[in-house]
Amino acid sequence: MTLTIVHLLPELLGTYGDRGNVEVASWRLKQRGIAHEVITVGVRDKVPTSADLYFLGGGEDDAQIAAREILERDGGIRKILNNGGHIFAVCAGFQLLGASFPASGNRTITGLGILPIETLAASPRSVGEILSQPTIPVATLTGFENHGGQTGFLEELQPLGRVVHGVGNGLNSKVDGVVTEQIVATYMHGPAFARNPELADWVLARKVGELAPLSAPIFNKLHAQRVASN
Amino acid sequence: MKLRSIIALANALGWVSRITKRGSGVMVTGRIILKLDPHAVATLAKNRRVVLISGTNGKTTTTSLIYQALATQSKVVSNFTGANLFAGLAAALSKDISAPTAALEVDEMVLPWAITETKPELVVLLNLGRDQLDRLSEVRVVAQKWKKAMKTLPSNCAVLADADDPFVTWAARDWPDVIWFSSGATGHIDASTCPECGAILHWGDGGNDYDCECGFRKPNADWVLRSGELVGPHDQKIAVQSAIPGFAAISNAARAIIAADIFGIGLQESARSIAQVSSVDGRFGALQIGRTHFRLLLSKNPASWRETLQTSVSGPEAVALVVNANTQDGKDTSWLWDVDFSPLRGRKVVVTGERRLDVSARLTVNEIAHRIVEDEAAAAEIFGAVQADLIASYTAFHRLAKLVKRS
Repeated sequence: MTLTIVHLLPELLGTYGDRGNVEVASWRLKQRGIAHEVITVGVRDKVPTSADLYFLGGGEDDAQIAAREILERDGGIRKILNNGGHIFAVCAGFQLLGASFPASGNRTITGLGILPIETLAASPRSVGEILSQPTIPVATLTGFENHGGQTGFLEELQPLGRVVHGVGNGLNSKVDGVVTEQIVATYMHGPAFARNPELADWVLARKVGELAPLSAPIFNKLHAQRVASN
Repeated sequence: MKLRSIIALANALGWVSRITKRGSGVMVTGRIILKLDPHAVATLAKNRRVVLISGTNGKTTTTSLIYQALATQSKVVSNFTGANLFAGLAAALSKDISAPTAALEVDEMVLPWAITETKPELVVLLNLGRDQLDRLSEVRVVAQKWKKAMKTLPSNCAVLADADDPFVTWAARDWPDVIWFSSGATGHIDASTCPECGAILHWGDGGNDYDCECGFRKPNADWVLRSGELVGPHDQKIAVQSAIPGFAAISNAARAIIAADIFGIGLQESARSIAQVSSVDGRFGALQIGRTHFRLLLSKNPASWRETLQTSVSGPEAVALVVNANTQDGKDTSWLWDVDFSPLRGRKVVVTGERRLDVSARLTVNEIAHRIVEDEAAAAEIFGAVQADLIASYTAFHRLAKLVKRS
């Protein structure tokens, strides 16, 4: 069986090197000889609903709103989850899965309603290195965040990490992201999978089963350097 | 104190700062002038013909080329070292009060202030793209600032704007006297949605045309650059040449020719003087480290990395990348993943700089064989006595550019 990875709307949601997660995921599978294909879905393409793993990145307000409309069309996002698809979502991609998110001009935009979360406008922006202790069995998480919104849980949810340095979800929660059966989301943008190889493998293993060990020391070195820098 | 006395004092203190190596003399001079006379820029710009140049990429090079063209006609002051904030503008204007013309590079966010103070005759808007998002603003925020600033232009001011860039178009299009330029650049990494209404922008003609259902669309260009030939609104034709390598250099040279035309300088004359510029403030300058003869290239954001990598393809086989993440570089290195480093495949690549591990991880996934080294000297030891490209991010570039000037 070939694993299908879908990179959703990179033209809209890809402001901070978000394609890096897709490329790292694909590279780690390839090194292990695991057959897979990566489908990039553009703004005029139909969103496939029966793929295995979906990636959503970060973006600016207008792009986030446009992405919401595309993903809501024909119930696409719900079909993805009903079909057992997993989602890795970052920043704006994380926010738009919730009940609502803010946009310029004091607007509140209705989200996709997949996660019981809501995002509020916050000032100043949360910008900088972020370090958190994960709630899943992987090494300390390191990333870079840059977001104007802060996200609160409307129900009890498992965060991805407990923030040691940085803001994460904010609203004084001291946590970053969320983990559900099918979704992992975070404010660590861009190459979170490059800086956190164990997170990458954990997300992949949930879909493909146990992964063989992979010797790729550059990622471990990068992880160690970024963790030590905070 | 009279402005002339202020300038004399500021120059003296700038000189002291420079020879005692406490800082760049230009910044000290400019800061003192503005401290003692907050309206100094307005006073110094009065009765002068001023052209302002702004945009994410190409400011320093384009300003230098415009300077070169305008200098065929009269004395010109300029800030070619890239000091493009308030103090840098004050220092540049104070350099030679007798010069009737000023060509000033201006930071994107300082442009509104510079317009108010200098009352320019021409504003050149180059492009807007993502750049150091951890400390600068998202592209749309900058475009909004520009759009507002256009309302404060003096009535006789012309705007030379890039029609290929939807953000520049959106910012400039309300002004009655826009001269539209198309270099033939295709696509835009940040313009998937319409700057006017937020709907998805429709891109056609291989990425050289765009329009939206709201009516926003690419304007017809007055000046068009195709295959190295610049064609004007009255069918004027001129071959554009540059001693600086790369496509961006040719399109910046074309902009400089148009700017000079607006200042009344003949196309042939400006094209000839522009074509002679081979290195601007260290860009594409030569420096020797160990036995290696390096050519120094600046790259600072995804758009400029793409351009530089393309330019570097026709260069030597050996390439060293130097990436830092200091404040001026942007502390976030995630942009590395927005760049396709494939043009480096099959070449002899080494990476260094404070964030060499980030670069190495990126190149690994991009499947580009490379080595990590401590510094440029170690890179030179690997390369030996050959020609090599040295592509550096902002702070590394400026450290290395000083070596260019000496060698």
